[in-house]
Amino acid sequence: MEEFNIRELSNDKVKIVYLEGFLDAHTSPILENALTKLLDQKSYNIVINFKDLSYISSAGLGVFMAFIEQSRENGGDIKLCEMSKKIFNIFDMLGFPLLFEIYENETKAVEKFNS
Amino acid sequence: MDKENKILIASSTKNLSKVRDFVSNIAVLSGIDPEIVNQITLAVDEACTNIIKYSHKYDETKFIEIKTHANRRKFAIKISYKGEGFNPNNVPTPNMIEYFKNYKRGGLGIPMIRKFITKIEYKHSNPDNNLLTLIRVL
Repeated sequence: MEEFNIRELSNDKVKIVYLEGFLDAHTSPILENALTKLLDQKSYNIVINFKDLSYISSAGLGVFMAFIEQSRENGGDIKLCEMSKKIFNIFDMLGFPLLFEIYENETKAVEKFNS
Repeated sequence: MDKENKILIASSTKNLSKVRDFVSNIAVLSGIDPEIVNQITLAVDEACTNIIKYSHKYDETKFIEIKTHANRRKFAIKISYKGEGFNPNNVPTPNMIEYFKNYKRGGLGIPMIRKFITKIEYKHSNPDNNLLTLIRVL
């Protein structure tokens, strides 16, 4: 059984969410709940680290669309980083870099909130 | 001659991983390039997700049958299910600039299938049989 896990880390003013495994229509509610919780706690600066994510379907992409507006309306952002080529290609193919900032590494993504 | 394999699953998102494993294993065994295997697998995941969500409305007592046909020229996936039919060819492709401008959500499964699949065929037969065929030319 393929699995999906989330780990969270708090920086000074940024929450970093690490995704691991397979993000599909079955597992996307796990990420949705985690992001709902962060926004409810008024944590609007979020970095998503994709380093250990092996798979994403459109259900996973939909989760980011669901929260980006609320985050930006409150002065924050959801920045994405450390995607494998396979995952990046899926985001890129549908034009997600038009809306989302995608960084090669986590440090750069976090620094953007401080600059 | 085409080689045929099949799997029958209960209509639940928890079985999507089984569908992906089935399709990717057969595609790999058929000697298909790994990048194309990933694309075909994702397209089948999207098609089954739509059936589970929109046709079966998460009713796990319903079933989806997936058959693969492979030869040197093409890889075809035939997805049969009963219930409310849904022809992906009738769904317009969204304008992604508008999509992002309006912070839309959902509706990306079929555009994804279109990117990865050469030909999509849909057939409905009475009373409620649906056959969705995804063909990837190799």
